[in-house]
Amino acid sequence: MSPRLLRRMGCAALMLAALALPLVVKLPYFLHLIILALIWVVLAQGQNLIQGFTGYVSIAQAGFMGIGAYSSTLLSVKLGWPVWFTMAAAPLMTAALAVLAGYPSLRVKGHYFAIVTLAYNMVIFIVLTTWSSLTGGEAGISNVPRPPDVSVVGFVWSLGDRVGYYYLALIVATLATLLCALILHSRVGRVLVAIRQNEALIEAAGVQSWRYKLFAFVVSASLAGLAGALYAHFIGFLNPDAFGVDHSLNAILAVILGGSGTLAGPVVGAFAVVFLPEYLRVAENYRLVIYGFILVATTIFMPRGLVPLVAQGLRALAARLKR
Amino acid sequence: MTEILQQMLNGLAMGSVYTVIALGLTVVFGILGIAHFAHGSVAMSGGYLTFFFGERLGIGFFPAMALAMLVGAAIGVLIERLAYRPVRDAPHINAFIIALGLTMMIEGINLLAFGADQVVIQTPYRGVFKVGGVAVAELRLLVILTACSLIGAVALLISRTKTGKSIRAVAQNRPAAVLMGVNVNRVSAIVFSVSSALGAAAGALVGALLAIAPGVGEGLAVKGFAVLILGGLGSVPGAIVGGIVLGVSEAMAAGFISSAYKDVIAFMVMIVVLLFRPEGLLGKR
Repeated sequence: MSPRLLRRMGCAALMLAALALPLVVKLPYFLHLIILALIWVVLAQGQNLIQGFTGYVSIAQAGFMGIGAYSSTLLSVKLGWPVWFTMAAAPLMTAALAVLAGYPSLRVKGHYFAIVTLAYNMVIFIVLTTWSSLTGGEAGISNVPRPPDVSVVGFVWSLGDRVGYYYLALIVATLATLLCALILHSRVGRVLVAIRQNEALIEAAGVQSWRYKLFAFVVSASLAGLAGALYAHFIGFLNPDAFGVDHSLNAILAVILGGSGTLAGPVVGAFAVVFLPEYLRVAENYRLVIYGFILVATTIFMPRGLVPLVAQGLRALAARLKR
Repeated sequence: MTEILQQMLNGLAMGSVYTVIALGLTVVFGILGIAHFAHGSVAMSGGYLTFFFGERLGIGFFPAMALAMLVGAAIGVLIERLAYRPVRDAPHINAFIIALGLTMMIEGINLLAFGADQVVIQTPYRGVFKVGGVAVAELRLLVILTACSLIGAVALLISRTKTGKSIRAVAQNRPAAVLMGVNVNRVSAIVFSVSSALGAAAGALVGALLAIAPGVGEGLAVKGFAVLILGGLGSVPGAIVGGIVLGVSEAMAAGFISSAYKDVIAFMVMIVVLLFRPEGLLGKR
C-alpha cells in the first residue's frame, strides 16, 4: 500500500470514529470538552496558517475569536437576527477588521509583526471590557441563544442538545481543516511556505509578498472569528476573559506542540491544550508555569512538534517490518 | 496650559521608564537578534523583589532596587544559558516562541511567589514642589533621574569599555568577532545580565510610580517594543525619543480623553507611526 492511500484510509477511519463518538461517549462533561477541543481546532488551524505556513507569529488569535463571538452574539441578541445568519456573518466581520488591522502591521517584518498583533489583542480586550454599554463589560452577556433546530424530511437536527452541537462543531472543524489543506496545496499556499523559507528571495522573484501575508492573516483571523461564534452560542455566556492574551499564547502552544506547518498538528495540539488542564487540575496554580515550560521545552527539544515525530516513528517502524 | 504641562511632566516620568525597558530590549535584539519578549515579566519580577526586599529586610528603596537588579542579572544569565542558547542556530521564530513560553513561566512564578494582588512600593519621597503652578512630585523627578543615570551608565559601558567593544563587535559581525577571539558566550551572558538588571530596575520604578500586578509585564514588554518601533531599531537616541513620545501621549490621553483607553491611544500612536514612518521617527529612510 502506498503511504498516500494509507493516510487517506487513516483519515476516513478517524472521521468514522468521530461520527460514532457520541454513541460511545455518554459522559456529558467529556463530550463538552470534546466540543471545546473541536472549536479550538478551528482556532488552531487559523493560527497555523499564519504561524506554521507563513512563518509570522500572530498573537491576536484570541482577540479575533472575541470579535467573532461578540459580533454573532450582539447581532442575534440585540438586533434579533437569526442565529445561523449571525454565525455566518461573524467570520466576515472579523475578516473585515483583520484587513484594517493587517495592513499597517504587515509593513513591519518578523518579530515586530508579532508585537503589533499582541497590541491588537490588548486593544480588543480593553474595548470589550470597557465598552460595557455594548458588551456588558466584565459581567458579560448571558443567555446567548443556540441556533434553532434544522429539520430535513422528518429528521430533526437539534442544536439545543450537546450531541447535536457536537456534530456542528465536527463539521466546522473538518471544513476548516479542509480549507487549510486546499490553501496549502494551491499556488497561494506554496507562496506562503516560500515566504517562511526566504522572504527576500521571493520578493526578488517579483512576488508582492504583502498581499499573500495579508491573505493568510485575514483567513486566519476569520477562522478565529468563526471559532468565537461557535464558542459563544455553545457556552451561552460571554465575557471578555476568554479572549485575553493568555489564550492567544495557548493557540501558539497548540500549533507548536502539535506540529507547526502540518495539517494534523493543530488538531492534535488543540485537543492537548483543551484536555491538559483537566489532568493538571490538581496543579491549577502551576498551570501557567507548566504551559510555559512545555512551550519552551517543545521548541528546544522537539521543534517540529508531536505529529511529525510520531509520523517519523511510524515510518521507521514500517521500514523495519518490511525487512 | 498648566494642565498640559502637568500631564507632560507625568508622561516624562513614565516615558523615561519605557526608555529603560526599551534599552534592555534593544541591546538584546541588536546584539543577539532575539526579540526577548519575556523582558516585561522579568521587569515585574524586579518590581516584586524590590518590594519584598524593602519589606523583609527593612532597607530603603534604592538599596532594595540594587539588590533586585543583582537578582535580575542572575535571572538574565540563567534565561540566556538555559532557554535561548540551545536555539541559537535555529530559525529566529524559535527564539521568539521560547520568549513567549518564558513569559508564561515567569508570570506564573510571579503569581505563585507574590500572589495576585496588586503591589505598590512605598517610598519616602512624597514631597511636591510647585513650579509656576505645576506640581512637581519628588518621586517623579527621582524616577526621571534614576532612568537617566541608568541609560547613561549603559551607554558608557557600551561605548567606552573593553567589554563594550566586544559587545559591539559581536553586534556588527558575529563570525568575525569569534575569529578575533571574542568569547561570544561570555558576551551573551553579559548582555543578558545588563538587560535584565535594567528590566528589574524599570520594574521597581513602575512599582513605585504606579503599581505592579499580574499581566502588567506583558503590557510593559509591548510598550518597550512600541518605543523601539517609534524610535527606530538599534538607536539609543531613538529609544529616548520613542519613550518620551509614548509616555507623553499616554499621559495626555489619560488626562484629556479617557484613562481606561490610554493604552489603546498609545498603541494607536504606534500604528500611525508604522503607517507613515515604518522606519521610526528618527530612523533613516
